[in-house]
Amino acid sequence: MENIQQYIESGILEQYALGELSSAEQAAVDNNAASHPEIQEELQQVQAALGFYAEAHAITPPAGMRERVLGNVLAQIAKPASTLRADVDAVAQASTASNQPTHVATQPVAAASGEAVVRPMATAPATQPASRSVWAMAASVALIMSLAANALFYSRWVEASDEVVALQSSQARFAATQNVVQKQLGALREDNQVLRSDEFRAVALAGTKTSPSARAKVLYNATTRKVYVDVRSLPALPAGKQYQLWALDNGKPVDAGVLLASTATGEGIQQMKDIASAQAFAMTVEPMGGSVNPTLSTMTVVGTI
Amino acid sequence: MSDTSLISLPPAAEAELVRRLQARDESAMTLFYERYSSALYGVIFRIVKAEDEAEDVLQEALVKIWHAFASYDPGKGRLFTWVLNICRNLSIDKIRSRQHRVGSRTQGLDDSLTAQRQAAPTTFRPEHIGLQEITQKLIPEQRLIIDLLYFEGFTQSEVAEELNIPLGTVKTRARTAIKVLSKLIR
Repeated sequence: MENIQQYIESGILEQYALGELSSAEQAAVDNNAASHPEIQEELQQVQAALGFYAEAHAITPPAGMRERVLGNVLAQIAKPASTLRADVDAVAQASTASNQPTHVATQPVAAASGEAVVRPMATAPATQPASRSVWAMAASVALIMSLAANALFYSRWVEASDEVVALQSSQARFAATQNVVQKQLGALREDNQVLRSDEFRAVALAGTKTSPSARAKVLYNATTRKVYVDVRSLPALPAGKQYQLWALDNGKPVDAGVLLASTATGEGIQQMKDIASAQAFAMTVEPMGGSVNPTLSTMTVVGTI
Repeated sequence: MSDTSLISLPPAAEAELVRRLQARDESAMTLFYERYSSALYGVIFRIVKAEDEAEDVLQEALVKIWHAFASYDPGKGRLFTWVLNICRNLSIDKIRSRQHRVGSRTQGLDDSLTAQRQAAPTTFRPEHIGLQEITQKLIPEQRLIIDLLYFEGFTQSEVAEELNIPLGTVKTRARTAIKVLSKLIR
């Protein structure tokens, strides 16, 4: 190589590490790296840098994935299954092969006994092989049956262990789903307690002139100061905006927090900031994260206690 | 500099893992999963951008790593480099076949970059290894190029075309960015 530095700076090692090169070009780089330690070192640095970048983006896989992926991988690479499968194939071939010789063996027997009638002199030598081949035949039949049974039992066993793996993975998936459901159920129970509690006063918020069809409800517990909001229907928000709830205390607006997107679409009720005292509640449209003071022109719903 | 060998094993442990895999020891795959799955899953997820597909690709990659292990040559590079390449290639094949189905490849840039931002999963661990440090040290242009090359499977010429800058500039920026990363390791 004439100029190693030039080669390194051409960017070909980066292309190699990023997998951009054809296999011929890759082989050329491999050769150059093998014969020039500087190139080898530079290449390893490039690969280490990209590996480092990859590591920096590590993500803990979602729950339950380890069991599924590792279970499936281990089942697919499992050695006993593949070698035993090969054994079964061999047995299956051997049993079809050994079938032919037994059929062939029966013919000489018939021929021999047929000859025995015609030429009694030859009976002595003919009967002995005949009785031996009867035993051989019986043994072959027994062997074939046993091999067939082995193959059958083996294939059932393989099926059963495949099923166990499949069941284990579906069980893991089911457990994960159940966790999620349990969590959602817990959240719903809490919501329900709020809705049924006598201490909560429901405040209906009605749409203003700008959005007459908007409806929402605030559940307010003056003793514990807890506030929940339950949306029936609100106009869709422009991008980058969020609904914000305000408590009006002696005419002064107090921030009661912003509504999650899911709350605003009416998917569930949401607990808001605690409010010490209020005579009315109202909602306005504010930039993401809410404002310090309400933008009155965007007031969507309002209601008094 | 933060500890960079959280996932890459120390050389002795890596050699032992390689030996067990070469000896076709299936239980070594469990160890392999423990050590590498989060790094490999992270890369695959950034490329395919969907959890279920990422899971499929990871599984496919692990089976491939097992079967193709005889072709791994420890003299040519680290185990991590080799397995990363397998995962990247499978993931890029996956998105290429998807893009092929959808149609034009260039339309994907804006979409895929926004998808990448939106899809940042909650379990992402930026504190894990100096990602913040990387973000600080790489200028945005360098990071964009590395991301396009590494996570979007673009070639350098495709990056040049996509960003409408000369190929030479792409090469220089990519090289400089990789140099910055190398410095962070040491």
